[in-house]
Amino acid sequence: MTPGLRNLAATAGVVSLMIGSSSVLRARDVRVPLTQSADRGLYIRSGTVAKTLSMSLRTIAADMYWLRTIQHFGGDRLSHRRDRPFELLQPLLDLTTTLDPNFNAAYRFGAMFLSEPAPGGPGRADQAIALLEKGLRAQPARWQYAQDIGFVHLWNRGDAKEAALWFHRAAEMPGAPNWLNAVAATTMAGADRQVAGAWLEDMVAHAPEGWLRAIAQRRLAQLTAMNAIEQLEALVAPFQKKMQRNPTGWDDFMAVGLIAGVPIDPAGAPYVYFPASGLVRLHPQSPLSPLPVLPERPR
Amino acid sequence: MQSVVRTEQLTKDFLTGFWKPRPGRVLDAVSFDVPRGEVFGLLGPNGAGKTTTIKLLMDLLRPTQGRAEIFGRPVSDADVRQRVGFVPEQPYYYDHLSAEELVQYFAGLSGLSRVDAVARTAAVLTRTGVRDEDRRRPLRQFSKGMLQRVGLAQALVHDPELVVLDEPMSGLDPIGRRDVRQIIMQLRDEGRTVLFSSHILADAELLCSHVAILARGQVVALGKLTDLTAPAMHGSEVVVSNVNAEAAARIGAHAARVTEIADGRYCFELAPGERPEPVIAILAAAGATLVSVSPVRASLEDIFLEAIQ
Amino acid sequence: MSATRVQLVAWHVFKEGARDRVLFTMVGFAVLLFGASLLLGQLTAGQDLKIIKDLGLAVIEVSGVLMSVLIGVGLVAREIDKRSIYGLLARPLRRWEFILGKYVGLLMTLAANVAVMTVALYAVLAWMQWTATPAVRASWEAPALDPAMLVAVVLLMGELAVLTAVALFFSTFSSSALWSTLFSLGVFVAGQFSGQLRELATAVGSRAAGAVGTALGLILPAFGAFDVKSQVVHGLAIPLEFVGMTMAYAALYAAAVLTATIAVFNRRDFQ
Repeated sequence: MTPGLRNLAATAGVVSLMIGSSSVLRARDVRVPLTQSADRGLYIRSGTVAKTLSMSLRTIAADMYWLRTIQHFGGDRLSHRRDRPFELLQPLLDLTTTLDPNFNAAYRFGAMFLSEPAPGGPGRADQAIALLEKGLRAQPARWQYAQDIGFVHLWNRGDAKEAALWFHRAAEMPGAPNWLNAVAATTMAGADRQVAGAWLEDMVAHAPEGWLRAIAQRRLAQLTAMNAIEQLEALVAPFQKKMQRNPTGWDDFMAVGLIAGVPIDPAGAPYVYFPASGLVRLHPQSPLSPLPVLPERPR
Repeated sequence: MQSVVRTEQLTKDFLTGFWKPRPGRVLDAVSFDVPRGEVFGLLGPNGAGKTTTIKLLMDLLRPTQGRAEIFGRPVSDADVRQRVGFVPEQPYYYDHLSAEELVQYFAGLSGLSRVDAVARTAAVLTRTGVRDEDRRRPLRQFSKGMLQRVGLAQALVHDPELVVLDEPMSGLDPIGRRDVRQIIMQLRDEGRTVLFSSHILADAELLCSHVAILARGQVVALGKLTDLTAPAMHGSEVVVSNVNAEAAARIGAHAARVTEIADGRYCFELAPGERPEPVIAILAAAGATLVSVSPVRASLEDIFLEAIQ
Repeated sequence: MSATRVQLVAWHVFKEGARDRVLFTMVGFAVLLFGASLLLGQLTAGQDLKIIKDLGLAVIEVSGVLMSVLIGVGLVAREIDKRSIYGLLARPLRRWEFILGKYVGLLMTLAANVAVMTVALYAVLAWMQWTATPAVRASWEAPALDPAMLVAVVLLMGELAVLTAVALFFSTFSSSALWSTLFSLGVFVAGQFSGQLRELATAVGSRAAGAVGTALGLILPAFGAFDVKSQVVHGLAIPLEFVGMTMAYAALYAAAVLTATIAVFNRRDFQ
């Protein structure tokens, strides 16, 4: 055999063996797919043990756990997991912040993950507040954490009083912007959506990654929807005054010229009008659903 | 006369340069024949292409052009090496093996059965002078000369008809050189063919019947050693002591040049063609002492230069 | 061809491995680690058996991979570098016999080391089994001395068969052990993701990136396909057919790499 012919034969041999091997692998995955284990393990739950094991690589270990946190949160959100969703979120965040007590993003965004209501999150406002309090113990000068705690009270618990208290505490801390006092005051007065809006704008501006920004933006959209719902509900009274009856649907509103078309929320889903109660709500399929439990505005 | 080794227009280019490799010719159309039963010397200064030629013969390198045959078969035929023993230049063997294990391993690769390998290994290690107590020591403790002996042993273990040695004397002490020479002579006496390379002409003179002289990758001289070196004889030098002035003058008549080294000690340089025997006869009569007689010849380099011109 | 010559080369690789202190240290370290895992088990209540199995299988895999690469890259390169290959190839030994012998020898070495570590792991698990109360035993997903762990070990050998071929491939044409090691480990790491790479085409919008991903996914060895540690530890079934097909994949892929290795090695000049 000439060298050229030998090279050709070798190349042909290698290529056909490669093709053969990858087809075997494909056939295997079709014929005998393995069941994946449902259990999701987290070997080390104690931050102290993790600290000891990671030695001088603590901050890198913290980064790894933070990445795992993001994957865990994002993965369960995307897969709409039903079986114990977000079960590792709190332990992962606790590990991350124990390994690196100065991990700013882990406190602030971690609290946001934890407080996110189901099905988009575990809806654990209590754990979110605990995480931020842990952050305050590690870095008592971070007025942002106090502000964030106030926000969780306001947005997820509808507790304006407690929220105002925390905003006030944040304002008292060195380096805090002076508008925080104003925020505390307006929260007490009940004009909390503006407060929430300003806070969310700040989160959008400082989000380190696109998808984190998306979460804050979604909350902004929810805020817009809440304002819209209020405005839409306010149209019932003018209708009754004009027609001397209750409206039965959006068509009625349109017929009298109160609205131009079926109103849709910022995510593109139509609002639903309940004629019996005269209330307007989000469409259950809307990505913005469910809305947070902000305290009722004084009418 | 049958050739054991034959090369025809053997040519080898190596690519040199990293970014734009260009072929550099290391061996240029080398043709020679090694007759059966002879000791053949491949001579030349360092960098002449001796090792390249030997590697081409052992199929460690592939020729750019030309061909090489051993026992009438192309060197690419691995079965040919069943009948060939090879000692590379500066042989290196595995640190973790003992001399015995190494030679047995190589015997096995040449197709010897386990029993034969053990028996033959003991025999060749004795022959090459590796002492019993050294045979089970790991090779990493061996000196260069000892390694050369092990190298010879592995080359002989399968009773080859042709033995190829690349610079077998380099790095050896005088006793080692003498032993290697003796082994080569024995191999010839046993009817084997020996091909070895060297950059020292004296080695060739003591061993070879035929030589090829390489310089800059080309064969510059080829044939029987006596034919090649006879014209290169440049007279001789005679050193004597206890010579009185009268005797010195008589000897001086034969010499081309006379140098007095120290009281009564002289060096006489005889011209080419002048035999030293008459001078020695005068010494005996004058009661002087002969210190040394050495033939003066051109170095191998001189022969190369002469051949190139 | 001569099976004897291949065997002889293989046997000497094995013998060298058996006399290598680094290997002893590595296996010794692994065995020590299994012992230490008993201590770690105490710290994490309830999960101890699972953790020891996880850790044990991971340690066997990591040391197998390191041995395969670290020895594999030097197997041919060092013979060329130290010129000991001259003596070998001056024998009637064909170059492909040399490569095959080296490959088989290293696989034998790896198999022996993996076997020692597996026995040590089972010994630790036997100790667990012996000391556990019935209540603790009832909480285990899989028995302590689960023979299914051997399936994971067998598949690991399949993985090492492919990795060794890759390391040997780099060993034949690169004289730098450092680069060969980095390349081999790089292929090992990239190969863990070859499944994801194949699916990249659907995941990313860019067509070019998708095509590159698919091609890489096909060329790179699918090391991720050998990993059944999670299934084994949780006592999930692994069908025999799965094992058979995976090993067939390993055999075909290793054969492809060895063919390429021999083709490269056959053309090589030993300057």
